[in-house]
Amino acid sequence: MNRKTFIGSIVPALASLPSLNIDADITMPFSANRTPPYLQSGDLIGICCCSGYISLEDIQPAINKIKEWGYTIRIGDTVGKRDFTFGGTDEERRNDLQSMLDDPAIKAIMFARGGYGAVRIIDDIDFEVFMSYPKWLIGFSDITIFHTHVNNNYKTATIHSKMCNSFPADWSKAEPSQIQSIESIRQCLAGEKINYSSPASIHNRSGDGAGILVGGNLSLLQNISGTNSDIDTRHKILFLEDVDEYLYSIDRMLWNLLRTGKLDKLHGLIIGGFNRLKPDDPGEEFGRDIYQMVMEKVKNFQFPVCFDFPVGHQKHNVALKCGVKFKLAVDLNGSILTETL
Amino acid sequence: MKKPLFLKPKDKIGIVCPSGYMPLEKIQTAVMALKEWGFEVIVGNSVGTQHNYFSGTDEQRANDLQAMMDERSINAILCARGGYGMGRIIEQLDFTKFQKHPKWIVGFSDITVLHCHLFAKYKIASMHAPMAAAFNDNEYTNEYVQSLHKAMIGEDISITCPPHPFNRSGSAEGILVGGNLSLLTHLIGTSSDINFKNKILFIEDTGEYIYNIDRMLYQLKRNGKFEKLAGLIVGGFTKIKDTEIPFGQSAEEVISDVIKEYDFPTCFGFPISHERENYTVKIGSKYKLTIKANKTKLQEL
Repeated sequence: MNRKTFIGSIVPALASLPSLNIDADITMPFSANRTPPYLQSGDLIGICCCSGYISLEDIQPAINKIKEWGYTIRIGDTVGKRDFTFGGTDEERRNDLQSMLDDPAIKAIMFARGGYGAVRIIDDIDFEVFMSYPKWLIGFSDITIFHTHVNNNYKTATIHSKMCNSFPADWSKAEPSQIQSIESIRQCLAGEKINYSSPASIHNRSGDGAGILVGGNLSLLQNISGTNSDIDTRHKILFLEDVDEYLYSIDRMLWNLLRTGKLDKLHGLIIGGFNRLKPDDPGEEFGRDIYQMVMEKVKNFQFPVCFDFPVGHQKHNVALKCGVKFKLAVDLNGSILTETL
Repeated sequence: MKKPLFLKPKDKIGIVCPSGYMPLEKIQTAVMALKEWGFEVIVGNSVGTQHNYFSGTDEQRANDLQAMMDERSINAILCARGGYGMGRIIEQLDFTKFQKHPKWIVGFSDITVLHCHLFAKYKIASMHAPMAAAFNDNEYTNEYVQSLHKAMIGEDISITCPPHPFNRSGSAEGILVGGNLSLLTHLIGTSSDINFKNKILFIEDTGEYIYNIDRMLYQLKRNGKFEKLAGLIVGGFTKIKDTEIPFGQSAEEVISDVIKEYDFPTCFGFPISHERENYTVKIGSKYKLTIKANKTKLQEL
């Protein structure tokens, strides 16, 4: 059975509608995402490389820590495999992920690292078994495409967090924020409710919002625009982060969000790290910072806006459950993001 | 499709800077050449104006372009340079008067936003062509800049280029659309997005990472943009960057790979680019593309 007919058979009332038209309104069926089962001690976590290459040695700290948490590990064939920048050929990466998705014994899949390459295989992934045996998909950056694809098409929650390449080799030298970020992955997997705060910022726009949390890497969100992996932001809390981009490019991508209507019905906006920005060419200074670029796009809307949230390509990058309902409260004392039922 | 009127001697060309800043002196050669071609030139307020990166504030740039679009006595508008900024003002522009009295809009790169917008929303043809900087350093006599003059006065232009090992032979007829790949993907899902069905598409880009070119092509593919394409023209992919771990393919190989499951004729190395090799083509005009073992030819019909 191909994917389309499969979706049709489980969601007959919505089968004729393009996925983007499925409104996350409470009156609609399947509006709330389901969460895969949380993990029990001894559960199996698969590690695979769907994007960039990484060596087995480089993921050893992650293996050690995950075992310490009480889980067992299956290392995918793509770990250590290499096809230039990729963790194996498209076929190898696809097969590795597919076999992990299809194996009910694996309760979660942590992507070893981001980089680039997920978009090259996503349309060849079959989520049929995953639908019957949902499991947690864990990662960020290039993995954004899996979050939006799975949240939207399969109404299943995922975990946006650090990956294997961010686990420190020497924990005694790791910063508290990094340790907290990694620890938050364990908390998510164990089913603990999530609750994060970020300090007050004069750039924030106060207010309260509630909705399903979605988001990820801004470059990837533009890249999936118009595709069957596109993000549905209506009535949602959206978070954004990016790295290694020019300011003008970030501005352009924010315009893409605005012009594709993705800011129109937001219930909240969370801006994480926009790190390692590429310097403007001399004499071509862009003259706007991330705060100004964001606020000018959202000036006609009312939802709360929180800046400097600990998510992104940085040490402090907490685990966020995408596709799960949260409450965002932004006021003069700071911002709080709380998981709700 | 609506085609603006071609230019006659003494017609007026307005020059604007809707995107990045350009010093006034950098357009002097273009002004001189346009006058030499027999046109009058009106230099807009946005040229030489600077607001940080931009050629004036959003409002200044939008107002200048709007005034040029609405002024009946102006027969064509040359965008002095690209850069970035058209996307910030496109929704502010009012095309009511322009629709009744369309005129040629000339430019490329960031101006792709305006080209696509005109095509997608108003079915008005425009010129993808060299801009002011291409005239400088005595380059205005080259065949690429000269092709703009020919296009402006309505002369037939046929462009030929040598074969490329990745070419896929065949011929296609269709309306020509295209521009800068980064901008074409950026516009997907917006009101400026073009339907590529039965079109001949041309793409070019500069300064991009190979992985990003790959990613953008996947975006086109995953949006079904290649499915009913009549033909593909790959222009220059210049100053291409690679990551520390090499991508392992050239831009041309990447493109060739992504389109291998389709069978439309495709040519590579076509002289539309951010470099000197940049012939004028009319977006929204019907063309015939013929790709043979010994040469490629693009002929306006």
